[in-house]
Amino acid sequence: MAEEPPQKKSFDESWPPVRGEYAIGDPNAGVAVVTLASQLHVRGAAIIGPCKTENLGVEKIVANVISNCNIRFLLLCGAESKGHLPGNTILALHKNGIDEQGRIIGSKGAIPFIQNLVPGAVLRFQEQVQLIDFIGLEDEAKIAELVEIYNRQAEPYPMEPFQVVKKKTPMKSVLAGEGDLFLGSGVVMDSNAWLVLA
Amino acid sequence: MFRFKKEQSIVNVAGVKFGGQPGELATVLCGTIFYQGHKIVQDEERGIYDRSAAERLVSRQAELSEETGNPAVLHLYARTIEALEKYLAFAELNWAGPIIIDSADATVRAAAAGLVSELGYADKTIYNSISVATDETEARAIRDSEVDSAILLAYNPTDSGVDGTLQVLEGGASMTKKGLIPLAEDLGITNVLIDPGVVPMGSGAGVALRFSVVAKARLGLPVGSGIHNAVSAWPWLGKKEKAIKRCCDAAASAMQLLAAGDFLLYGPIENAGFIFPAAAMADILVAESVRDLDIEPMANHPVNRLV
Repeated sequence: MAEEPPQKKSFDESWPPVRGEYAIGDPNAGVAVVTLASQLHVRGAAIIGPCKTENLGVEKIVANVISNCNIRFLLLCGAESKGHLPGNTILALHKNGIDEQGRIIGSKGAIPFIQNLVPGAVLRFQEQVQLIDFIGLEDEAKIAELVEIYNRQAEPYPMEPFQVVKKKTPMKSVLAGEGDLFLGSGVVMDSNAWLVLA
Repeated sequence: MFRFKKEQSIVNVAGVKFGGQPGELATVLCGTIFYQGHKIVQDEERGIYDRSAAERLVSRQAELSEETGNPAVLHLYARTIEALEKYLAFAELNWAGPIIIDSADATVRAAAAGLVSELGYADKTIYNSISVATDETEARAIRDSEVDSAILLAYNPTDSGVDGTLQVLEGGASMTKKGLIPLAEDLGITNVLIDPGVVPMGSGAGVALRFSVVAKARLGLPVGSGIHNAVSAWPWLGKKEKAIKRCCDAAASAMQLLAAGDFLLYGPIENAGFIFPAAAMADILVAESVRDLDIEPMANHPVNRLV
């Protein structure tokens, strides 16, 4: 009798990889919920939490979604965060991606940039999940209903979980100049005189 | 501690002075009122709030400022221009010092610049903020207004390290046509305050501390931050009790002052009760540490009032 191939893991034990202000539900569920500026509590989702910023907040969502292949739907609900517009930004990221500077194309948010995701993460996000746009909806019962509906439709994404490794800040060598303590950017301190020089 | 070789400019907004060498001036403390989710606000769109609660908060900040010698600024946050009109009317009656006008919505900020000019408050208003998000419409509104004081939010979304933050100010960051400092000059801003923009811990919050020293060394301008944002966005701490959160908030504020901060956007005005003592203490320690570096604290500095 032939041995069955080992079953592919949809997520690592360490999932979700990025810490944040979210609640973990069932990691085998197919829906993740972003409640934007609202604090909502709904059962049945893989992960649920707010997102108030159009840059770092969005990056965290992408990282935690694509590292779990079970998540196939990202439900956007709750009140939009004024000015920052993370809901609009997630929609724009999914639709248009980013330009060469990391700017999220078409976002109306204030500073919509992706800085910390490795190349390929955005493409994977676009391919793995479908966005369900209910921005403005704060009715927890209706959101729970939607989670249930989309959970039933979800099939795991047929790839390995995408691990987002944070880009490391490159180390720079610092020239001593006149000082003996270095603050970077050409600024040094002469600790005998406690003088900071640029 | 240390002194800067570069001359440190002092900015004067409605009699409140920001900047100078570490230990020279008392740190300016800016408490926010009517912020998003503030319990005293019943309707953020229309600016309906509990007036007596607001009066108590503002007068508490004024009393602590008087007691410690740390000057205070009232940071008004508004969701709409209708709300801001009401908040400005409140400030006119209840607050004698400078005010910061702020909103997450650029259209509200732009309208606010015009409104304070019309009402005659421009000379005591600090615009928060000019940043890489400032578009031509907002820039025009600032240029057309009489506001001449602003916070430059130097957050660089493509490089949030010290070098990237400086680039946003000086020019050279790829996503802006010019640096925020030359931009502010073009817009008629003569009183410039620098804020690196504090990101959450884990994303580089600590950068604000080293940036503060570097920016003062290179630019000689007043620098400060809203470092409380790093504390309030820390999920681990969020589960702890209030007293622990307050300790961390006070400690972060003192660290910003130790790192040459000239002003502190200390967050909710309710926190004045523990932020003012923490800041006054940090100011005293810094002032004592630089006494033999030819830095004389001003007469109203906490070191001359509280010890």
